[in-house]
Amino acid sequence: MPAQDERQRRFEAAYTAHHGPILGYLLRRTDNPDDAADALAEVFLIAWRRLPDLPAEPQARLWLYGVARRVLANQRRGERRRSALADRLRADLVDAYRPPEYTGELARIAAAFGRLPEAERELLALSAWEGLGYGQIAEVLDCSRNAVRIRLHRARRRLAAELDRGPAQPVPHRAHVPSGDFR
Amino acid sequence: MNQISKIARVSDAEAAHLARPDTLADLAAQITATAASPAGPAGPVRPAGRPRSRARRAWLIGVPLAAGVAVAAVAVTSMVSPAHRAPAGQAGHARPVPAGHGSVPVRAQVLSFVRHGQYIDVIVRDPVADPAQYRAEFARHHLNITLKLLPVSPSIVGTVVYFGGNHASAITPITATGACHEASGTDQCPVGVRVPVHFRGQADLVFGRAARPGEHYESTASAFAPGEVMHGMNIHGKTVARVEAMLRRRHATVARFNVAGNSAASNVTSVPGRWYVYDAVPWAQHQVLLFVGPSRTEPKAGAPVPGSSAPSPSPSSK
Repeated sequence: MPAQDERQRRFEAAYTAHHGPILGYLLRRTDNPDDAADALAEVFLIAWRRLPDLPAEPQARLWLYGVARRVLANQRRGERRRSALADRLRADLVDAYRPPEYTGELARIAAAFGRLPEAERELLALSAWEGLGYGQIAEVLDCSRNAVRIRLHRARRRLAAELDRGPAQPVPHRAHVPSGDFR
Repeated sequence: MNQISKIARVSDAEAAHLARPDTLADLAAQITATAASPAGPAGPVRPAGRPRSRARRAWLIGVPLAAGVAVAAVAVTSMVSPAHRAPAGQAGHARPVPAGHGSVPVRAQVLSFVRHGQYIDVIVRDPVADPAQYRAEFARHHLNITLKLLPVSPSIVGTVVYFGGNHASAITPITATGACHEASGTDQCPVGVRVPVHFRGQADLVFGRAARPGEHYESTASAFAPGEVMHGMNIHGKTVARVEAMLRRRHATVARFNVAGNSAASNVTSVPGRWYVYDAVPWAQHQVLLFVGPSRTEPKAGAPVPGSSAPSPSPSSK
């Protein structure tokens, strides 16, 4: 069936182009390679099922980041779903990947970053880790560019304040996960 | 933002090379072998010319082990009260039970181990036994394998949902042809695992069990698969009110609505009855999650918001 072939071709193109960056996005945000593997399978399963919603390049990656963010948010809420799709990937990642443990200055930055609310961490990360601009972040988070500019500015100030505070008592992580409205 | 850049755990380029190329290709093939559009009344669509994939098992395979509510009820009873089971030998208990917790059963009853050259095939005979019993049997075969049970939708009760652990890639699933209902173009049912004789890693094997009332499914088949609550139902072009009425006739309700194109309300408990239903997935016993929206057809490309119908096409555990 030609439509099916076209669908398949489109999915495979997106998968080939974006599996690395999406896996990177996931691994930078979770300590657990098992969770990253499951999330990667979930993200691309959603992409496959929602292929008509997947925008053309170069917006596709931003759309996938948006999906990845929600899948991770679900995992953080405790909604883990071990997927058989990810069996082999999970095994590969567990074998090949160890999250780095930071010491010294980096540990201090990581601790300050960890004390920020999740929404601010995500803004800073999309900017610094994925290298996105205001407009692109706005697309991932589904909010206005202006909201991104203002919130990012605020997040940077808070990070600076946290860094100045120096090594503080560990603050218990808030379980809060943004539901998606950054407006 | 240089400070934050320094604590990026891994670069995209590094991430792309963490998995083996054949693993990545396999994942893509497995994903595209799943139903592209399970909402359709005709059920899942299998891409033409594509081999039937064992990978559909987690979501799409229907299995007759839980073909009826009665089976599920037995499983629930066994699961919730292992400590209150009748003592061994007491009349009326249908299945042999361990003499006491942690004791090693004399006969291998819950698992069967069959040696084939360099491999041992482990088949789960009793998917609702006391976990200690599985552990004991694996230990007797010098295998560090833990068997866990997770609540799944009825048609995949008794199948392997997931296995993982250290060097678990050495373990492969065993499928039994014909042990499953035709649900998604396959009758390959994952009923056990093949383990190398000299396997010295650690593995977790997760098996699907019947859910207790109200308990969310950790893994699901298609809501329209045989044995599932919406089997045979045609929701195409129907309104929320209509589908809810159809569900009521089957003593089922809607647990959540996932609203397409609206990130702020992607998971809500009520929507207007005149809205339309695009898709459904099992959620818990007698409960489903519906994918809905105000337009008759599901929003297509160019519709607002990336990932608006994410987080997930399927329910998750709590």
